[in-house]
Amino acid sequence: MRAFLDNLRLALGTFLGNPLRSLLTLLGIVIGVATVITMMGLIEGLRMKVNKDLGRMGAHTFQVTKWPAGGFGRINWAKFARRPDITMEDVHAIEEACPSVGVVAPADDEGGQKVATAALETRPSVRVFGTQTNYSVTSGLTLASGRFFNEVEALDGRSVVVLGTDVADVLFPGMDPVGYEVRIKGRPFRVIGVLQRRGSMMGMFSLDNQAMMPLLIFQQLYGKNRSLDVDVQAKEPELFQKAQDEVATLLRRRRSVASNLPNDFEMHTNESMTASFNQLSVVISIAGVGVCLLSLVVGGIGILNIMLVSVMERTREIGVRKALGAKRRRILGQFATEAVLLALMGGAMGVGLGFFLVFLGNWMLRFPMVVPPWVVALALFMSCGVGLLFGIYPAARAAKLDPVEAMRAD
Amino acid sequence: MSDGSSAGPLIQVENITRVFHVGGEEVRALRGVSFGINRGEWVAIIGQSGSGKSTMMNVLGCLDTPTSGRYMLNGKDVSRMSDDELAVIRNVEIGFIFQTFQLLPRETALANVELPLVYRGMPARERRERARAALDKVQLTPRIHHKPNELSGGQRQRVAIARALVSEPSMLLADEPTGNLDSATGEEIVRLFEQLHQAGHTLVLVTHEPKLAARCPRAIRLSDGQIVADGVGRDVALGTAPVVLAAGGA
Repeated sequence: MRAFLDNLRLALGTFLGNPLRSLLTLLGIVIGVATVITMMGLIEGLRMKVNKDLGRMGAHTFQVTKWPAGGFGRINWAKFARRPDITMEDVHAIEEACPSVGVVAPADDEGGQKVATAALETRPSVRVFGTQTNYSVTSGLTLASGRFFNEVEALDGRSVVVLGTDVADVLFPGMDPVGYEVRIKGRPFRVIGVLQRRGSMMGMFSLDNQAMMPLLIFQQLYGKNRSLDVDVQAKEPELFQKAQDEVATLLRRRRSVASNLPNDFEMHTNESMTASFNQLSVVISIAGVGVCLLSLVVGGIGILNIMLVSVMERTREIGVRKALGAKRRRILGQFATEAVLLALMGGAMGVGLGFFLVFLGNWMLRFPMVVPPWVVALALFMSCGVGLLFGIYPAARAAKLDPVEAMRAD
Repeated sequence: MSDGSSAGPLIQVENITRVFHVGGEEVRALRGVSFGINRGEWVAIIGQSGSGKSTMMNVLGCLDTPTSGRYMLNGKDVSRMSDDELAVIRNVEIGFIFQTFQLLPRETALANVELPLVYRGMPARERRERARAALDKVQLTPRIHHKPNELSGGQRQRVAIARALVSEPSMLLADEPTGNLDSATGEEIVRLFEQLHQAGHTLVLVTHEPKLAARCPRAIRLSDGQIVADGVGRDVALGTAPVVLAAGGA
């Protein structure tokens, strides 16, 4: 332990004795670790986003959409755009022709909207949903105050709205908005409810920045000829798979999909979304690990280089230390500690840089990124490993030096 | 430190040879050297360059092992020890004083003096106290926090002597200790050696300067890897001592 502390002090001395050189040498490790942190932050952010989305869907519920899941994977935009929209007629057909289906809730949404009162206005970032009463069942929504719109209001297309807590907080600070009037796209709406807070990611990306209104009025505001997202809940949990089969068969017939072709619509379940996400995250992970390994090898070579230089520069010192009674193991320990400490410093700087990038990502791109603690631990551990791996050879060379020869060096 | 085997001589060298292989050629640096040194003696080993005195110094300092022969130091046979075993012997038994001081440039005088104790595993507080005491002995107390480049040559050599003393070794081994000093400073260092000798330390001094050897009570002259004279320092240095035959011991 005492030997270790002495080694640590020596290693720090080396670093501080030549900070610029040390810093440049460590660049590889810094970049490698920063890459890992950012990549993992990205993946974890996606995972949390997906989990929230999945959490939105209630039990034994699946979603039918024109577009593939979530905010990713829309590579072949044109191919998907050629698909027929999912219409209100499809929704009615599902309700009528699928015996295993319990509740159906069509929905459409538009992001980047402003909600205003006479005095206040939100930023143009609110996501407005148009849907029907059943949506509160299929999505498992709960309300903080007031109520969701009822069937009469939905079918009549009354101008009522349920606000997310972020919108409520901005427009009605410190008070209950129920009963008050807000304006969306210039049109007045009566607030009838406020949703339970669903939380945010790292305090930056809110899931509560939304407003829900009856689908009919939504379509008056934003247009009718848009494809619907349809939430479908099976009657019983045991009928979940059967309900999916019925809906798929029905839609294929209605949309005249030849039997040898795949579905021209998407069906998301918790499982399918998790699966598609996992596929993506594996690809990102592999790419990240590849970049990281490469950087770490580069960083390791940097360590190897600086340690060889360090051993050469300090040949005389090593000779003196050995003459005065340092055993091989002690010299080995001294230089290995130095290499590991250097690498660890690089790792720590990489973690810092990584967190900074994650912060930038959250703040500027409004993309939620979360860095799990185990990634930090792993990154630092890998840095140590690289330091030890590439530092051991120079250290062994130092330990083997002949004291007489070494003391004669300039 | 000492295992108490104070009966025999501190150093007993028996028929030591050291052969180097340089580019396929055999160089016989020492060819059968034998002598003994008792506790409290002050002995100079002198010789021209190439006489084998540096090799002798390395062997005596346990920095090198003889090709053949036996070297008993403080009752231990050190002629067949491993690298690490020799490191321990050097740490415990020998205090080195080098011509070029061999101080660590980045460390303070105090830290330099502490170094042998670091490798003995002594707690920081204790070794600091002992290092201060050793620096006090060489009258360097006001400069203990200076780095070597802030010290004069004489002061550096004093630090080196303090470092040699701090581990309370059974012998001090000095290699041309005045070689890098002007004559006045060199004289100071020699006086310091005289004091150490009077205080009972065993001193072995390797030099090529007859003037320095003449001040030692005993001197051994090496030539061509063999002892050619062994006697009172002044006589050996001035060449008036009886010539010792290579085969014969002291």
